[in-house]
Amino acid sequence: MILSRAGNTTLRTLLGLVVFATLIFLIAPMVFVAALSFGNSRWMAFPPPSWTFRWYGQLFANEAWLAAFWASLRIGVYVVVCCMALAVPASFGLVRSRFLGKAAVDTFLSSPLFVPVIIIAIALYILMLNLGLVGSEVAFVIAHTVVALPFAMLMVTNALKGFDESIEKAAMICGASRLRAIMLVTLPSISQGLFSGALFAFVISWDEVVLSMFMAGPRMQTLPVKMWSMVRADISPEIAAVATIMLASTTILVTIAYALMPSARRAL
Amino acid sequence: MRKANLLNGALLLPALVFLLLFFAAPLLQLFGRSVSGPDGFNTFVKLISTEVFRAILLNTIETGLSVTVTTLLIAFPIAWFLVICGERLSKLIFGIIIVSMWTSLLARLFSLSLLYKNTGPVNQLLLSMGLISAPLPMMNNSVGVLIGMFYTMLPFMVLPIYNTMSKIDPALMQAASVCGASNATIFWRVMLPLCLPGISTGCIIVFVTSMGYFIVPSVLGGAHDLMLAQFIVEQTQQFLNWAAGTAAAIYLLILTLIIYVVYTMLIGVATKREGKP
Repeated sequence: MILSRAGNTTLRTLLGLVVFATLIFLIAPMVFVAALSFGNSRWMAFPPPSWTFRWYGQLFANEAWLAAFWASLRIGVYVVVCCMALAVPASFGLVRSRFLGKAAVDTFLSSPLFVPVIIIAIALYILMLNLGLVGSEVAFVIAHTVVALPFAMLMVTNALKGFDESIEKAAMICGASRLRAIMLVTLPSISQGLFSGALFAFVISWDEVVLSMFMAGPRMQTLPVKMWSMVRADISPEIAAVATIMLASTTILVTIAYALMPSARRAL
Repeated sequence: MRKANLLNGALLLPALVFLLLFFAAPLLQLFGRSVSGPDGFNTFVKLISTEVFRAILLNTIETGLSVTVTTLLIAFPIAWFLVICGERLSKLIFGIIIVSMWTSLLARLFSLSLLYKNTGPVNQLLLSMGLISAPLPMMNNSVGVLIGMFYTMLPFMVLPIYNTMSKIDPALMQAASVCGASNATIFWRVMLPLCLPGISTGCIIVFVTSMGYFIVPSVLGGAHDLMLAQFIVEQTQQFLNWAAGTAAAIYLLILTLIIYVVYTMLIGVATKREGKP
């Protein structure tokens, strides 16, 4: 049958070939850039003549790259804090209340997902210019939070929907206040969902290019912004090293977040 | 209970206020900025009547369409395989696809640009195998944009198609087969129509996203066929022509909205016809 596991080996083989080729196409660039970053060739010859850590050494000795790294890290952490501070209460509001226009509120809260990032970037750029905040950390944090919030909301509401509210009520019957019941019972039970939401928010901030490009100033750059300017200026093995660090860090974080995500397939 | 309901509703306020201040209001301001130039509303007319802008708009839509078709043609067999390949294998493939969707975009594009350039490994391999006699120009042109967008958009097509396909009851196919339908007939008359909701969702997401892309055409595209997002950045960052830049952004926003509205209406019509609530 064409839609069951049994029978029709020809079909399965054909489809399998497409999948196999596509997976190679997806994975090859990651392996390739990692190989270049460890290759001992100034002109990035492939396959590399010999192996070295030289480009990583140069990278960690370069103050501009280090500054960008720390800025990215700080901004990412602030974005996680802001996202969770907004998403956790809002998810409680969405899951546990009923009112007229709730569907509209829900749509509005996820609408940054549907507007092209370039438009959000231009709009926020105008706002930040007016406020004199371009090139400040605050501008980065606000911009990243706008696009990361819908994802954080998605993870937290999904986790909260899967939590049995009667457990929280039981704690309240036993004498806990509502706040105490939420803090000590509800939030710990959905901690996996919260953690995966936080990780996704961090990865979005960590890898954001377009918004960051507009928010950046001469003294304030994140890793992707610096990488962006380098990619266009001159191509060196140092960029391959940064690219490899970016790939490795995002891959590890997302793998953890994906493993923790409740009902992974339905959520994304 | 009423009081608790009100209290819970109030918990939405911080997130709502944040998005109103830093998302909705800036979008309105963007619109204000586009008509506050010396030409007022005429900015829009002026922009669309220039040859350059019309070419960019057309190129953007064309690119969106070709990316959507390419992605669909590859994503459909992948989703199909995921449905019939057994749970363990499908989990692994899913993992690779989802993780690849979140790994650093810029790093992957940088790598693609080196991998597929004229002197890159892919061209060298093809040359040494004797399949081509001169390097295929695959970067800094529309092919490069297509490769890059396909690379980033594939998961957004696979996931919705898989979601609908995996919910189809295989007994339907069996019934068709018992009634004497050939495999080809079953595919065209039963399976494909049942997959349409997932296909349309995937197509809309891919089409809209690829039209608004900035990074992919900037890293992998040519200097001559600009896309809308590149035009917006060029006008606002390089030429400081705010009227044209913001008006172009509004055009992109309107284009996006129209597609979503038409899509929602079509879905509404489709569900009505099936007699579902």
